Amino acid sequence: MSLPCGIRNYNYAQDMAIFRTKTHWGMLIVFLVLLFTVPPLTFNHLWLNTVNTIGITLIATLGLNILVGYCGQLSIGHAGFIAVGAYTSAILTNRFDMPFLVGLIAAGVVAGCVGIIFGLPSVRVKGFYLAITTIAAQFIIIWVINHWGLTGGFEGISVPYASIGGLVFDSDVKQFYLVMVIVLMAVFVAKNLMRTKVGRAFIAIRDNDLAAEVMGINVNYYKLLAFFIGCFFAGIAGALLAHTTYYLNAEQFSFTDSILYIGMIIIGGLGTTIGPMLGVTLVKIIQKVLLPIYMVPWLENSITSLPAGFATGLAPIVFGLIIVLFLILEPRGLAHRWNLFKAAYRLWPFSY
Amino acid sequence: MDQLLQYVITGLSVGMVYALIALGFVLIWKSSSVANLALGQIVLLSSWFTYSMLVQANLPPIVALPIVIIFALCLGWVIERFALRPLIAQPILSLIAVTLGIGYFIEGVITFIWPWSVDALPTLFPQEVVHIGPAVISQEYLWVIGICLAVFVLLTLFFRFHRMGVAMRATADDQMAVQACGIPVTRVFSMSWMLACVVAAIGGVLISSIGGITHGLVNTGLKAFSVVILGGLDSFVGALVAGPIIGLLETLGGGYLTPYMWGGVRDVIPFIIIIIVMVIKPFGLFGEKRIERI
Amino acid sequence: MKNKKLLIINSIICVALLVVALPFLSACGGGEDTAGKTLKVGIMTPTTGIAAEKGVPLRDANMDCIAYINTELGGINGYQIEAINLDSQYKADQAVTNINQFMDQGCLFFTTSASAEMSWVQEIANRAGFPGLVCYSSPSNYHPPQHIYGQMPDYGDDWTAFAQYYLDNIWQGTGKPKMALMLLNNSTGAGAKNAAMAMADAMGIEIIAMEEHAATTISEMESLTRVSAMNPDVIYISSTPQPTSIIIKEAKNIGLYPNVTIGVCHAAMTKALVDLGGADIIEGVYGVFPTIVSWDEDAPAVVKMKEYAQNLHPNDVNNGDYIAAWAQSLIIAEILRKTLDAVGYDVLAKGDAESWAAIEQYGFQGLDGYDVGGLQSPVNYVAGDNRLGKSLRINRVTNGVITAITGWVEAPLIKYEDYDWFGN
Repeated sequence: MSLPCGIRNYNYAQDMAIFRTKTHWGMLIVFLVLLFTVPPLTFNHLWLNTVNTIGITLIATLGLNILVGYCGQLSIGHAGFIAVGAYTSAILTNRFDMPFLVGLIAAGVVAGCVGIIFGLPSVRVKGFYLAITTIAAQFIIIWVINHWGLTGGFEGISVPYASIGGLVFDSDVKQFYLVMVIVLMAVFVAKNLMRTKVGRAFIAIRDNDLAAEVMGINVNYYKLLAFFIGCFFAGIAGALLAHTTYYLNAEQFSFTDSILYIGMIIIGGLGTTIGPMLGVTLVKIIQKVLLPIYMVPWLENSITSLPAGFATGLAPIVFGLIIVLFLILEPRGLAHRWNLFKAAYRLWPFSY
Repeated sequence: MDQLLQYVITGLSVGMVYALIALGFVLIWKSSSVANLALGQIVLLSSWFTYSMLVQANLPPIVALPIVIIFALCLGWVIERFALRPLIAQPILSLIAVTLGIGYFIEGVITFIWPWSVDALPTLFPQEVVHIGPAVISQEYLWVIGICLAVFVLLTLFFRFHRMGVAMRATADDQMAVQACGIPVTRVFSMSWMLACVVAAIGGVLISSIGGITHGLVNTGLKAFSVVILGGLDSFVGALVAGPIIGLLETLGGGYLTPYMWGGVRDVIPFIIIIIVMVIKPFGLFGEKRIERI
Repeated sequence: MKNKKLLIINSIICVALLVVALPFLSACGGGEDTAGKTLKVGIMTPTTGIAAEKGVPLRDANMDCIAYINTELGGINGYQIEAINLDSQYKADQAVTNINQFMDQGCLFFTTSASAEMSWVQEIANRAGFPGLVCYSSPSNYHPPQHIYGQMPDYGDDWTAFAQYYLDNIWQGTGKPKMALMLLNNSTGAGAKNAAMAMADAMGIEIIAMEEHAATTISEMESLTRVSAMNPDVIYISSTPQPTSIIIKEAKNIGLYPNVTIGVCHAAMTKALVDLGGADIIEGVYGVFPTIVSWDEDAPAVVKMKEYAQNLHPNDVNNGDYIAAWAQSLIIAEILRKTLDAVGYDVLAKGDAESWAAIEQYGFQGLDGYDVGGLQSPVNYVAGDNRLGKSLRINRVTNGVITAITGWVEAPLIKYEDYDWFGN
């Protein structure tokens, strides 16, 4: 099902390749060319910012997906780890005048280490217990950020433009390229990491951690590694967030966002790489464009006696409903639908 | 010394509020092993509904409060029937995520109907304070403690003696076996959610009659998780004991640590306790230790 | 026949003249050609999201007032104000999108409602030289002063004004009065804290405690017990209505109030505080407020504001935020008028850095005591002080109603940027 008709593999490398046929490669190249030309040349600020936000959120959710979707360690405090990354980069570049790249890498590493600290209970507990621990992590992280002098406290901290060498990313078009290059790297890493020994260990732990341990997998090591990798991605996303909004305060990293990150990978499909892409794109387009620009004004014009909280209440209602409905009706998410579509497309006109 | 007494009394009374909310959580966990993360939102929704009945519809409390109870029963039934039942036997991740989704949805509904963020419930209890030595306690909190104990006793008796209560305990133990014995498992689930929502509604009405209805009730719900973690997820006694402990640690910690630490330390103490308990004694003080088999 | 030919020639000439003159005639109707020429202003409000409760009346008032200026006052010297209203959702990424759109669409300057919204975009605006006006400001918005201006005094000024009033009118004892601060754990509390740290010594007030609380608090007995042990003379609460009501109620329970004076900041000094706490308990509490508190007050702008609110947004009648945003729009108009008078429309038509500089130089910095229809303190610019309105009124809850007890009291400028702890 996953292979087009008439394609055979003659060696292991061919069997393992992600892009197997000339058509695959052609489509990839066309996609990349379109990705790097169409948005920056044709989109207005609204859409370009939406695309940038999608990119940044995608990096964070790829990490969350490794943690939750592949390794089965539920984390509901992802916004907290993103905050750690954002503030790390902000502090290094603003207070210590470090270059952006140092801030970016440090953001990932620091967030990853904080992730390990709060992931320590995962050695002993799982499921709901771990979920509560990560919620606690979020609140503790935000408290520290609000009170530690270096972070600027409640007033917040300003962040300089990202710059590499002499290139300053001071407009959303330039930031688009920065974000997209890192997104591609993140997708590449996430996709391939799961095809290595580490990824297989994660999946074994997710499916049954006791069985995995019996098979000789060092469960504790891999659980903490999953926390490090997942939060490393979150930290990178946070650093990019900091350098595209230029100003941070702790209100930007709410518990609601953490829930929405979980929602995005559920909608997209847990334990797949295409899943977060689809989920994030869908949710962010609904959140940033569809609801505020099209749906709310249209509904307000067509229905006269709407309650006053209508515009505000709509987004949580829609996303809450989407999360619940996906869990009930399509627990494998959009990724599964995408696979079905691919299979149908390949086998057309024969439906078997 | 006077301060210490005041801290203890305040801590105990606030802790009972947490305990009351925690009881609603334990109720569901005990019968269906579902972690209800939408607890705070259910508390908030029932508070706003009470507001509608008491203030907007201007009903007397004797009429309004039974309506609130009926509303809570319906709410519990709806949540279980339409969101939880299709997910029976799904992995725990789905069950946790679905309650998060429900919570998010309820928040939207609340904004939809009651777009202003804060309002006052009419006072249900006398306002005079009671003096215990040099310390004071508001009478409202005495009522909260009394009602919390009553709910605890009722729930314990219900689970100990009532047919449905016994069925709930049995269901929690082994769903398959219970179903084979002819006990309607779905009705057990539905019943436990309805009861849990009633407990949450009682908690909501009590807290918001003291401090007003605000979005903060959702966070109070989150703090109640530290109570169930410390007390054990499936123990009513645990909730009742851990609630005051958390409350005490909060006020004592806040009272004596604040001068030496960053401000607002009191508000993160429950969360720090969660982390500590997780590492030291993950199944809590009274929780049942589950042995895992492959 | 001759006559007929003449008639035809005459009529042709007439028609030709008419056709040629028509544009001139219609143009000359207004004296100057202003049709289709607008002055673009970007207005950002948190219309949806967690701050929607305040954002909706703010948006309504801005739009209503600009409609009033455009229709009844004929715009600014005949030029219509084109208000581009965007919703920030009270989210940083959305606010950034919005300010980029404002700059793209050639807005002359922009406004935000909340200090948080401004904090998310102020770096962009300052780097581009795009002037902004923030309604509810915090000191970090314009310290050090750059291109962002505050419409009203901030939470720090609340504290200074109240402290000065307390020293002058309430404090009877000798020596320094002992003050305890109860602070909300966000910029509302931080504003008062910073002001107290900067000014308390100089003013002669001893700060004995700075207690922090969360917006979600259900009991503050613990911190009040600690405060009570230090025998304060006055408690200042910089918070929102719900925590404030809890603190005052429990202060009463513990026997602190009404023996000590309680002052609250402008975020708490609303009708919600009286409703939540109960009129008998809140009675006698002092609070500062930067605009008028009642819709029945005798201020020139109230008449039109009432009329528009009743016709267009009856839900907003008696809302305090509506007053603030109405005042904001009046200031927007004044800024545009000042700049138009100084540089003419051609400079403003560009909507680029040159227009922004002109707006800032002649509009913002040209404000010289405009009275804002009596809705708030008069606005004027003093070099180095980006607060346009500098004065507050002290109010007191009397018989369950918030009543002004002073005129406009000026809060002195605090140079936060001179203190090395600011922003650290």
